Order: sequence, then C-alpha cells, then structure tokens
Amino acid sequence: MSDPLLSVEDLTVTYRAAGKSVPAVRGVTFGLSVGETLGLAGESGCGKSSLANAVLRLLPLGAKTGGKVMLEGEDVLAMKPGRLRAVRWTEAAIVFQGALHALNPVQRVGDQIAEPMLLHDGALTDRAAAAAVKGLLSHVGLPERFARSYPHQLSGGQRQRVLIAMALACDPALLIADEPTTALDLMVQAQVLALLERLRTERGLAMIFITHDLSVLTHTTKRLAVMYAGRIVEEGPSDQLFTAPFHPYSAALTAAFPSIGDPGSRMHPSGLAGDPPDPTDLPSGCPFRVRCPVVEDRCAEIDIRLVAAGEDRSAACVLVGT
Amino acid sequence: MSSLVEVAGVSVRFGAARAVDGVDLTVETGEVLALVGESGSGKTTLIRTILGLQYPTAGSVSFQGKPVPNHGPAARSYRRDVQMVFQDPTGALNPRQTIYEAVAEGHRIHHGHEGEKEKVAEALASAGLRPPERFFPLYPHEVSGGQRQRAVIAGAMILHPKLLLADEPVASLDASIRGEILALLRRLVDQTGLTVLVVTHDLGLAWNIADRVAVMYLGRVVEVGPTDQILAEPRHPYTRALLSVVPEVHHLEPQILIGEIPDPTRIPTGCRFHPRCPVVAGGEADRLGILEMCKSVDPQFLEGVACHASPPHAGGGGT
Repeated sequence: MSDPLLSVEDLTVTYRAAGKSVPAVRGVTFGLSVGETLGLAGESGCGKSSLANAVLRLLPLGAKTGGKVMLEGEDVLAMKPGRLRAVRWTEAAIVFQGALHALNPVQRVGDQIAEPMLLHDGALTDRAAAAAVKGLLSHVGLPERFARSYPHQLSGGQRQRVLIAMALACDPALLIADEPTTALDLMVQAQVLALLERLRTERGLAMIFITHDLSVLTHTTKRLAVMYAGRIVEEGPSDQLFTAPFHPYSAALTAAFPSIGDPGSRMHPSGLAGDPPDPTDLPSGCPFRVRCPVVEDRCAEIDIRLVAAGEDRSAACVLVGT
Repeated sequence: MSSLVEVAGVSVRFGAARAVDGVDLTVETGEVLALVGESGSGKTTLIRTILGLQYPTAGSVSFQGKPVPNHGPAARSYRRDVQMVFQDPTGALNPRQTIYEAVAEGHRIHHGHEGEKEKVAEALASAGLRPPERFFPLYPHEVSGGQRQRAVIAGAMILHPKLLLADEPVASLDASIRGEILALLRRLVDQTGLTVLVVTHDLGLAWNIADRVAVMYLGRVVEVGPTDQILAEPRHPYTRALLSVVPEVHHLEPQILIGEIPDPTRIPTGCRFHPRCPVVAGGEADRLGILEMCKSVDPQFLEGVACHASPPHAGGGGT
C-alpha cells in the first residue's frame, strides 16, 4: 500500500455529558487506499458513527478529537475552516443514514443535489449545474425528471439513491456510507448495494461502509473492522473474518445472522447476552470480558490491543496467538 | 394442530387502493408463522385487520372458529387474547412511565389492581428481565434497547394472550440483541403454547424461529408452506428472488428485481407480479407457452403457491 488515500492514526473522540467525559473512540488506526473498501461493524454506541464523522470533522461542538486523520496527505484535524470546507464533498463525502431525514422536505431534489456543486465551484452556472444533476440522477438509476420532485414524492430506496447522487456531486475520492441500507427493504437494499458496487468499480471510489449488519458487509467490502467500546477489536479480509472470526465478539456478531439452510441455526437463534458497556464506566482490562463466553481470569488485568493473527489479520484478544 | 385464526377472502380497500386483495390464511394454534414481504405488500394492513383495528372491505377473520367481535364483552376478551408487539420499543413505551407502570397497564385495564405486583414481576421475569424488582422503578431511557423490547413483550404477556402479533420485532435492534429477543419469542411459544404471527422482511428471522412462512406481494399471499420447504425450495419466482438477495444465502444466483412494488391503486392485470417477474423477463414463460396467461389470468392459489409457472412445471427442476 503506497501512499494511502486515508490514514487514521490513533484517533480518539471524547464527548462531554453531564460533567463527565465520555470516550466514544479510544485509539483507532487504519488506512485506506484508492479504490479500496472497508466495512466498519459494531453495535449502537461502539463509536463507529463518531469515527466516521471525525474523519470529516462533522462532530458536534464540544467533542474533543485526538490523533491524526490524513486525507490525501493533509491532516483533516489540523485544517483551517476554509480548507476544510473545500475538502468536504470534493475529496470525501458522506451518505448519511435515514434517507427520510437527511433531505430538506421543502426543496426540490435537483436543487439539493446542485447545492454542493454551486458552493464548491463559483464559476458553475445554474444551467450547467442542472445538466450535471440530470447526469448524476441517471447515474444512480433514477429518471431525470426526479430533479423536480420533492423528497416526499419518492420512496425510501429512491431517496437513498438521491443521497448517493448528492455525495457524488463533487466527484470525491472517498465515500463514507453510514448505515445506507438499514431502513430499506431486502430487494431495495440489494439494489442500493449493487449501485454502490458499480460506482466503486466505475469511479474507483474508496469506500467506508458502516453498519451493524455484518452479513451485508461481507459481500460489499473487501476488508472488515469490528468495533467494540470505541476500539477496533478485529480486522481482516471480509470473507475470512466472517467465516472464521478470531475475536469472540466477532464470532457472536457473525452468528447473529443465520445462514439459511444451516441446520445448526434452524429454530436456534443466536445472540449475545448483556449490553454494550457504559463508556463512562468501562470495565478494567478487556471491555468485552463481562459478556465474553470464553473469559479468563487474566482478561480483567490485560488491556489487550490488536495483535497480528495470521497473515493480514489482527485481533484484540488474549486467546489470539497463544 | 387446530387453527386459531382463519382469514377468509379478506380484502381491505382505501379508496382505489387495494391494500389487501383477497387473502386466505390460516394461523395454527401453537405455531410461529412468519408473514414476509416488502413495504407496500399489505402485511401490516392484514395484521391490523386480524387485530380488529381495521374492518375488512370483503371477507372475514375468525378467531377460534368465531368471527372477530368488534364490540361488547366479547371484544374486550378478544383484546386480552390477542396482543401486539411493535417494531420500535422506544416509541411503544411512554417515556414518562416506569417499566412497572407500562407492564401493569394492561392487567389493570382487564383485571384491576388485584395481584398486580406479582403479575408484573412474573411477566418481567418471563421476558428475561431478572430480577424483576430491579426494573420496576426504571424509566425506558434508563434501560437498553433490548431490555425495552423485553419490557414491551412483558406488557403483552401479562395478559396471557393466545395470539401475539409481532410487527418487525427485531428490525430496530442491534444484531447481537436480535438473537436474544427471537430466542425469547420461541421459548414463549414452546413453553406456554402461545401462537405468534410475526411480520418481517427478514428471512433469516423466519429460518431462526418460524414453523411456517407466508409470502405476500401487492396485497396477496403468493406462497405459503413449512419454513424448511419454502426457504430450501421456493416455488414462486418472487420468493426465489427475495431469497436470492439475502446476504447469507449462497446457493442462489442473486436476482435483483428492477423497480419497486407497484402502486396498489393500479394492480397489474393477470398475475400481479408479471411486470417484475424473472420467469417472464427471462423468456422462460414464453418457452413454457404461458406468457399470455401470466399477462391476462390472475393465477389461482394451488397447493401453497399462486404462479402459472409453478404447479405442473417446476415440480422437479426448480433452482
């Protein structure tokens, strides 16, 4: 991997709530090359959305970030506001979750897609922007006449396509998709995933795909990172991680999605007891140990970090490599 | 097994929209039946009709052999026997009410205050919230999403219903919690003889807990059968397409249907699925000589499936 597009080093995100500091992301490191895809999986509250928002500095005021986010060689966290504005949308764009709420209900879809283009290119005429909008709409598989529609006139899947068109408006090299298919039907989800895959190959987009549905990721992204309590606890090629996870948490997540036709999961739903830990009151040692089915005494003492686990894979568990 | 609910020729119209368009469906006592379909297939309208919240425009729903009552003491007892669990537990609970109050409410309406505390404790424990007393004073925001859904289920179970209608009970929950809630539903069925009709678009859920699956498309049930059979050898092309795009299914070539469910005010002629049907689009219907039938004749529901291509032809050779 020469010259990664994005390189995140020891990133931390800390919120403040009720006078307490809440560590949401606790030291995450990863890299992404041009055209590469990475899936980020984990439960609500594991820090995956905070991580995504930190990459483009979209966190609320009062959130403190540490570490480095290098996007095409520049540190996003150290950028001046003007430079940051220029980078957002043109170098990296986000497709937000909840297609229902991410669009302005009283503005035509075409105008919303044109907005970032007009803001980023002062020389662009309205007419040229309108033409570009039509091109983008047909690129994401929507009829051009939808430019004049309002969001409520579109279905959930169509709105999600509009959001993707919007994210592509300024031709970014990196697309961050935060739960882009969560609220969608199975068939529509398949349509959106196929669209993202087509865009990746046609445009050479690098993609970070965030979801709690691990099964979606295995087919969409080449690499997979599983997050727990603000850290990556396992990382590796998607198919390997999904079929043979090292970390007991990854194992529980993969088992939660039954393989239809597998007699082992028929009439036998598999879950993980307990709840994610309170970030203000993390257990000592491994934060997963309180829910871990294979916990040992030493887990309470060792705050384990990612260690190499075979070729191209790593996991944060004392049982790995022993 | 005897049938608990009998849906016979039920149609529900909203103006020109035919939301449910002639559904026959039986729910057997003590089973988990998964009603599967996309948004707009009419599955939610159908369970609202079973619940008595919606009158059918045509046809009838009967419960234990009698028509669903809509007033008087019989309706009161029906509302005890049939309980509902919604998709989003956060929306289903009053944020200003404690878990105790939320669970006790149904009991109070039907039985007054007598034995309330014991009943609430029993319901919470049966839903896996132990020790129950710890949850009495907590507000919904003080417990996790999974515990909130357990509280909603406890609120339904306190009345010892015969039928539980669950609308996407795990769709808004994390993957790790999903399995726990499904295991709870299955355990309630196995241990208390409860019957569950679960509405979902998640075929993995059906594989996990359902005895039978019914697939709905545009207001109609297009295929019904035992889960093992439907998910191993789907006969309707729509079921086949749905199954092929489940990320965990590897033995079927993904068939991504174009477009979305049509508008229920303009249901296509002939087989309602024909404009999106891969059997029609791929030319197979033409080769079988049934293309004209697909376009003009509404297929009858025969031996668990409503498809012109399925009954005689697909017997051995289906994918």
